[in-house]
Amino acid sequence: MIDLIGFAISWLTLFGIYAILSLTLNLESGTAGITNFGKVVFYGVGAYVAATITTYMTLILNGVDVGETPPYDVRGIVLLGELGSRNPLLNVGLLVLSVVVAFAAAGALGYILSYPIIRVGPAFVGFTLLSFGELLRVFLQHYEPVGGNKGLMAIPTPFGWVADSRLREVAYLGLVMGTLAVTYIVTYRLVNSPLGRTLRAVRDDEIAALCLGKHVPRIKATTLFIGSGFAGVAGVLLAYYLTSVNPNMFVPAVTFNVWAMIILGGFGNLKGSLIGAAVVTFVDRALTFVTPQLGVTLISPDYLRWVIVGLLIVVVLMVSPRGILPEEPIKTPALDIVSDELGGESE
Amino acid sequence: MSSVLEVEGVAKYFGGVRALDGVSLKVPEKGLVGLIGPNGSGKTTLFNVVTGFYVPDKGEILFRESRDLVRIDGLNPNEVFRRGIVRTFQIPRLFNSLTVLENLLVTPLGQRGESPARALFRSSWSKQEMELARKAVELLKMFGMLHYAHSKVSELSVAHIKMLETIRGLMTPAKLYLLDEPAAGVDYSMARKLFTYVKRLRDELGLTFFIIEHRLEILMEFVDYVYVLHNGKLLSEGKPQEVVSDPKVVEAYIGA
Amino acid sequence: MVPGMQQVVLNTVQYALFYLVFSIPLTLSYRTTKVMNFAHANFITYGAYTAIFLHGVLGLNTMSIAAVAAFLVAGSMAVLSNLLVFAPLQRRGSSLSIVMIASMGLWIVYKYLLYIVTDIAHHYTAKNFVSYGRITYVDIPRIVVGGAELSQALVAGLAVASITIASLYVILEKTKIGRAMRAVADNPVLAEVSGIPRALVANLTWFICGGIVGVGGVVWTSFSGATTPEAGDSMILQVFTVGFIGGLVSLLRTGIGAVLIATIENMGIALLNTYLNVPVSFKPFLTFTTLIATLILFPPLGAGGGLPYRFLRRGSRR
Repeated sequence: MIDLIGFAISWLTLFGIYAILSLTLNLESGTAGITNFGKVVFYGVGAYVAATITTYMTLILNGVDVGETPPYDVRGIVLLGELGSRNPLLNVGLLVLSVVVAFAAAGALGYILSYPIIRVGPAFVGFTLLSFGELLRVFLQHYEPVGGNKGLMAIPTPFGWVADSRLREVAYLGLVMGTLAVTYIVTYRLVNSPLGRTLRAVRDDEIAALCLGKHVPRIKATTLFIGSGFAGVAGVLLAYYLTSVNPNMFVPAVTFNVWAMIILGGFGNLKGSLIGAAVVTFVDRALTFVTPQLGVTLISPDYLRWVIVGLLIVVVLMVSPRGILPEEPIKTPALDIVSDELGGESE
Repeated sequence: MSSVLEVEGVAKYFGGVRALDGVSLKVPEKGLVGLIGPNGSGKTTLFNVVTGFYVPDKGEILFRESRDLVRIDGLNPNEVFRRGIVRTFQIPRLFNSLTVLENLLVTPLGQRGESPARALFRSSWSKQEMELARKAVELLKMFGMLHYAHSKVSELSVAHIKMLETIRGLMTPAKLYLLDEPAAGVDYSMARKLFTYVKRLRDELGLTFFIIEHRLEILMEFVDYVYVLHNGKLLSEGKPQEVVSDPKVVEAYIGA
Repeated sequence: MVPGMQQVVLNTVQYALFYLVFSIPLTLSYRTTKVMNFAHANFITYGAYTAIFLHGVLGLNTMSIAAVAAFLVAGSMAVLSNLLVFAPLQRRGSSLSIVMIASMGLWIVYKYLLYIVTDIAHHYTAKNFVSYGRITYVDIPRIVVGGAELSQALVAGLAVASITIASLYVILEKTKIGRAMRAVADNPVLAEVSGIPRALVANLTWFICGGIVGVGGVVWTSFSGATTPEAGDSMILQVFTVGFIGGLVSLLRTGIGAVLIATIENMGIALLNTYLNVPVSFKPFLTFTTLIATLILFPPLGAGGGLPYRFLRRGSRR
């Protein structure tokens, strides 16, 4: 029997996390024109921040010597499993701390990375961010304190103290949706404001924008700061959802997953990003749930998923490059002034 | 009369080409000055150097931002704009995904809604936005383009695109306006209307205009002084009538 | 000095040869077609896997045959990518960014399709195609220099690189089609107006570039102890950085870039490893630093860049 509620919760949670990534990518690439092929970097940084802070602090605050029993050690993992469900205040507190630090760290990284790529074209921007992601992965694979290639496991979750597992899932879904709502409101307001107008101008012709007084480097840096910060928060949500992180989760294909979402949904349209995220995560979850049921073992759903993502990108770009929803004019009070005038004009 | 802009011995080379070869000129405060010359004489390059698009290889550019003359050569284009020099492009550089209205609204300086922190709170910038919208509407009405307010740039005719390029420059209050061929591709009556408006801005608000133009019949009617460039050098200068009858100028135009 | 210096030098030469063979076609294809093609990595991998499947399934270990097959496979793959995706998008007037993103979609499709195929092949033949061992070829001459025998990969690499450089030189300088390729690269509109069949030139360029890179992939199979469907990806940072050093325009500078990056990476990591215990797998950091330095100091113009913003400027009171 297919557990429909379980599927729905799993899909919606993943949708929520990816929608945050998708909205921020649409802000950076769809609105400001910064071809960010390194989205996964900030996602991964956020996830690792949450994993590291939560596992280490849970152990330390419970009196464990992490020098002797680090969280990536087998004994550490067992301890985490026990300690993770005892103290609600600790769990929630660590969540808040992780979110704040992840936003700051991922955001700062995005800000710094924007500078070397200021003067070059979109291909080089994309490529540099992509490569940086791979470097980070290599680094994490060798960095012992965060578990090296195996990563960190048994991460205590914010609702670990809730006894019923389904209730825990639903509560977590609520948390994810809440974060998504905040992200949506922020991105919506940024896009439908003079800033949004300026971002689109920078995208259309950054040289003209520069000549019209816009500080293009600073605008790009700030946009990447915001987009990366929220991507970091999405990473935090992922870490708690999967309760484990390892470097091989953060491969370039994840970035392209998000690109597929904004291409499908439509560049520059925020509602479109939500739709794109919903469709792609649905297909992803459906594949994972359905293939074992059908007994198809020959073709790994992991690989198939990526082939579908890649095809989605190519096909949508070829058939309907604008995606499902077109970019809309920016909604500011200026529109009211104009419609008054136009309404008052006699034909 | 004090000058708003002083170009002193400016040279700009591209490989072996001497686009500007030692040009010196002054634009007086509240002046309506023309810059003419055959194609390739360096007019647009001069504008590019003044506005920070290029760094001059020799010479200095001085601008009277408030009371004193300040060197501005080497500043970045956005900084030059902020100091009060607005420049329009010969081949319009409009923002293609923005509507006509949005193109006008994106120009003015100091919009509170452009900072991310304030952009989040509509009330902090909506009043300013509405004022800018009123000004944009006024400009559009003056040149008969109000009904295009929500049109995309791709839907406009060549003449309207050119008009929009110029009007966009006029949206923001500045000390000096560099207009690059504002009448090109625009019909005669609309071009006269534009120059009449420019003259009015000069007379009523004391703004200064430095205008490149090929359509001498319109330009000569409105400007007080003309500079002539040829092969990157200053060929002649003076009142419009003097310059037009200067044999060197006539020869340059015929020979070009 | 650094222990194992001789091996480091050999590695440097080996990688320089690889980067030459992989990057020169990248520069050539970009400057002729203006497509920033991220599926370039797959051309390497598919070339390698042509040799691998010939070896694993048919027992073929003759490099010359594998090379010809790989040239055809990778070359056709490039042409197909152009016919199905790049050309239609360009005809429609899509921006360079859109074509580039589409090429990334292709990159993912090609890579994971290969994963599926190797997985299935593994299942049916009990040979691990997902991570394939080094292939020893029978038709590579044994060359001894200074008492030491050169590895097969080095000999093959030298051969392939020299043939590539020589043939490209002849084609581009001496033949009509080569001149047509250069004309299209310099001024596509003018070339078309002068009667040059742009589409044909583009497809031919893709075929040649894809093919050369595929042959390089075959050489890779004689070098790497574990070739996977991500073989091409493992070098993509270096290959593109080398291309950027050449400004994506100059083949000579690309060649210099290949030698430069190979040296910085291999000598550099050897030094860092010996004196600072930096793990060898941190090689890419050195290339990334070089990439950043190149972008800041010599930003490759074209491909839509060139913001006239200067970080160091003056503006002083008179």
